[in-house]
Parts: sequence; structure tokens; C-alpha cells
Amino acid sequence: MSRRTLLSVVGAAAVLLPLLVAHPFVLSLATQALIWALLASSWDLLSGYTGQISFGHAGFFALGAYTAAAASKHLGLSSWVGMLLGAVVAALVGLGAGFPALRLRGHYLALVTLALAELIRLVAQNWLAVTGGPFGIYDFGSFTGLPASGLARARAAYLLVAVVVAAGIRLMLYLCHKTRAGRGFRAIREDEVLAESLGINTTAYKLLAFGVSSGLAGLAGTLYAYYIQLVSPTVASAATTSLVIGMAVFGGLGTVWGPVLGAVLLFGINEGLRFIGVVYNLVAVGLVIMVFVIFVPRGLAGLRLRREGRALRGDAAMTGAGGSGA
Amino acid sequence: MESLLEFLIQGIVLGGLYALFAVGLTLIFGVLNVINVAHGEFFAVGGYILFCALVLLHLPAVLGVIASGLGAFLLGLAVYPLLIAPLNRRLGRRPAGSLYLVLTLGLSTFMQSSLLAIGGGDYRQVPPLVRGILEIGPTGVSYQRVLVLVVATILLAALFAFLRWHRQGLAVRAVSQNPEAAQAMGIHLARIFSLTLALGVALAGVGGALMAPLFNVYPAVGFPLTIKAFAITILGGMGNLAGALLASLIIGVAESMVVIVVPSQWQNGVAFLVMITVLLLRPQGLLGRAAVR
Repeated sequence: MSRRTLLSVVGAAAVLLPLLVAHPFVLSLATQALIWALLASSWDLLSGYTGQISFGHAGFFALGAYTAAAASKHLGLSSWVGMLLGAVVAALVGLGAGFPALRLRGHYLALVTLALAELIRLVAQNWLAVTGGPFGIYDFGSFTGLPASGLARARAAYLLVAVVVAAGIRLMLYLCHKTRAGRGFRAIREDEVLAESLGINTTAYKLLAFGVSSGLAGLAGTLYAYYIQLVSPTVASAATTSLVIGMAVFGGLGTVWGPVLGAVLLFGINEGLRFIGVVYNLVAVGLVIMVFVIFVPRGLAGLRLRREGRALRGDAAMTGAGGSGA
Repeated sequence: MESLLEFLIQGIVLGGLYALFAVGLTLIFGVLNVINVAHGEFFAVGGYILFCALVLLHLPAVLGVIASGLGAFLLGLAVYPLLIAPLNRRLGRRPAGSLYLVLTLGLSTFMQSSLLAIGGGDYRQVPPLVRGILEIGPTGVSYQRVLVLVVATILLAALFAFLRWHRQGLAVRAVSQNPEAAQAMGIHLARIFSLTLALGVALAGVGGALMAPLFNVYPAVGFPLTIKAFAITILGGMGNLAGALLASLIIGVAESMVVIVVPSQWQNGVAFLVMITVLLLRPQGLLGRAAVR
């Protein structure tokens, strides 16, 4: 089975799910899994595919969520405008973070983005007038124009989230596989100095990766805000970043679609564990990260039945295997 | 004026704690080239061991602190052979780059949630190790804080003496300068790596024990410190021990003093702003040599 048919089967199953499963709880889990999928794949675009390690995606996610929630709560804007605003604000801050990143690599970039996320969390916790402080923002409404309640609402919300998430992932896959930018990203990951010397505008492509990745992370945040209808400072915590990186490592780095798989499965496992009474499920996430980084570098995406074309080393992004790395 | 003096003293105490923490982190980075994201979790482990020793077993405070350091040391001994060596083996001659960061992030998540699963999410209160207040001119400082500073100074002096004069310390320095050459001279690399990691996290464990009466103990108590320690190591220069010491004091005092100008809930932002500014203006840090690409 080729990857294309596999993806279309999965996509079709995703669209059919709300028709087949008539249970709000299952739909709610599926909706949340999709939101995580968008966040995990947006991390992968920047960190796995372009090789610019971000430890701050929880910050971009929270930025999107807070922007959307505040826009709806304080300005009374509809969710469509809120989603757009959230994505744009996150993208702009991501671009701002991208500028120092032009000079920083590897360790340093990861540490700066971690500090950025921590700053965002600090602002969320202390800017009482806008963010509601430690209690967060609530009562700002859900997606505009959904049915009032019940199964119809769960189905509509699922479809809406699924469409937005699919569009976001499609955009990233298109960028990576069909445009010059995708080759630029890969060139930066494999060997930045060499790429530059071949005349590739690494500055522009890095900024593009930062902008798209943080913007889509913000978009995932807005979906989270309107779906959960509560945004509190904990979404910006390092635990969120850790979960997202766990999903991406689980699914397979540098593939964009692997993390989608990783997110859905890991979220499913987490909720399953919660269901049978294991509340502290991040233990499993920590284990997954360690075991996969050490032993399964290509993640689940690497466990294909048939190899397609030239497979890159899954963790080449982070080892700087291309040459002048480290 | 009194409050200024008080803030200064508190800042120096805080700086002492940061130094204990950041010097360990820097030592590990300098020798293994690993940025230990899980460093704060060893701080938390130290606090929990002290809580068990003092509150549950009613042991004397000295034993509790020693047990914290020892516990963190033993856990730290396991990190190299169980996590880092297998990854290095798989990578062969390829450099690990940021994979270490992701790996220790996994360790951090694992340890933090394990502590949560075992000990619950409650804030555990630990009684002060020593009571009373030391009067300094118009103001006073609790003996607990004095103890933090004294123990931190002794331990750091001991560490520097160990690295300077002891045979194993010499080996640690040799490995940090050139692992291959050190190995050629008959130094057992794996042993030095394990020892360095264990020593580094043991300092964090003792720090956790000393601060437990001031901070309380809960699973995530160490993580914010880890991020601050990153800021400190960057300010001091990555892998530079003296720089880490100096930067710890600077950040500690700056954090206490800034309260005079801005509300205290923004205090924690100082370190992050410093970190971002330093990376933009002087990425090699205060005492670092310009080795950054």
C-alpha cells in the first residue's frame, strides 16, 4: 500500500467517523486528538523537517488560544475572526523568535524558545485584566453557529476541527513536497552552510518555517480554546511541549504526517490509560520519548512495510548528520 | 535602606542556591556535552528524600541532607549507562546534537510524573533544618538561609578542589578537554561520564534538600529552576564553571533587587529576559570564549 492510498484511507475514515460513531464522548476524544495532531505536525515542520529545534511550541499554542479567547470574550468577535487573529499573532511572535534563531543553532535555539514559552506563561498568569490570571479565560463561547447541544453539536464541532486541521496539515505537506521551500527546509536541515554556499536563501526559508510552524501551532491553540472553552496558563507549561515532542518522536521525526499518527495514537493511549484508572499518564509519555529516541529514531512512520524511495535517517535533523553539524 | 540590604542578602542566598544548581549543570555539559533538561527533577528528588527522612522517619536534619545528596548521586549514576550510552552506541560516530535535549526532556517528564504518581500532587511542607534568625545590623536573615549559603559555599569549594587536585578530578578535566586523548592515556571514559553526571545531579539533590523548607516540595518544584539555570549557564558562558558561579550571583541578586521596581510576580521573568538579551548581544556569555558558530 503506498503512502498516498494509506493517507486517503485514513482521511476517509476520519471524515466518516462522526457518522459511524454516535457517541459524544468518543467524538470529543477524536476532536482533541486532531487538535494535538495539528500541533505535533507543526512542531515537526520546524524541528524535524527544517532541523530548528523548538522547545517553545506550548507558548505558540497558548498564544493562539489566549488571543482567540480574549478576542471573543473582551471584543465579542466571532470564532472565525478569533481563529484568524490567534494564528496571525502566533505567527508574528514566531517570526520574532525566528530572528534570533538566524544566529542560534541547536542547543541555544531550544533554550531560547523554552524561555520564550515560559515568558508567555508568566504573562498569561499575571496580566489579570486580559488573561484572567491563574484561573484563565472562560465564558467566551464556542465556535460561532454550532447547533446548541447534543450529538449534532459534537458532530459539527468534530467536522469543523477536522477540516481546519486537515487544511493545516495539507498546507505543510504541500510546502514540504511540492515547493522550492520544502527543498530549502531539507537543505537547511542536512547542512546549512553547504545550502547557503549553493545560493539557497536560508534566512528566508528559516523564517518561513518559523512563521508557518508557529502560526499553525497558534491555529491549533484557537481550536483548543473554542472547543474546550477554557484557557488557563497550564496550556503554556513545558509539559505541553513535552507531550507534543513525545507525539512527534513517537510518530516519526521529519515526516510531518508521522506526528499526526503519533498524536492520535499517543492521545488515544493516554485517554485509554485514564479510562482504566491510570491518571499520571505522562509517565508513559516520558518513557515513549526516551525509548524512541534511543531505539526507534524513525518512529512509527519508519515502520513501513515497504520502503519508498530514498529514506532519510529519521533523526538526521537533530544529529546534524549531514556534515558540518553539531 | 534596610529593605535594600535585606533584598541584597536574599539575593546572595538565592545566588548560592542557583550556583549549586547551575555549576552541576555546567559541569555535565562541559564533560558530556549533554544539556540535562532533567536537572530540576533531581532537585525535586532531593526535596522528597529530605521530606521522607525528616517528616516520615524523624531522622536528624544532617542525615536527611546527606541522604538527599546520596540518593540523587545514585540515581545520577544510572543515567549514563541506561540512557546516554545506548544512544551513543546507536549513533556510532555521529554527534548526538539536540537528541540529548529531547532524551533528557523525556527523562524529566518521566521523573516528574513518577514523583506525581508516587507522592501525589500535594505541596509537602518540611520543617526548617535550623531555627532562629541571624541579626545583621538593622535587618535579619533566618539561619535556614544562612545554612543554604554556607553549605553551597562548602560544596562548591569542595567540588573545585576535587577537580583541581584529586586524581579523578584531573581525569574529569582531561575528558572535558579531549575525550579521545584522555582515553588514550588510560582513562575509563564511561566511568568518568557516569561519575560527572552523578556529581552534577548530587549537587542539585542537596540544593533541593536545603531549599525544601523554604519552597515546599512538589513534583514540578525543580523545572522552573532548570530553565533559570539555562539562563545562568548562557550568561556565564556554556561549560564555564567560574562563569556559572558568577552568573548565579548576578541573577540571584538581580531577581531580588528587581522587586523594588516591578511587582514581585514578574520576578521570574528577569532570568529569561537576561538569557534572550545575552544570546542576542554576546552569545558566548560573560566569561565564555567565542566558540559559538
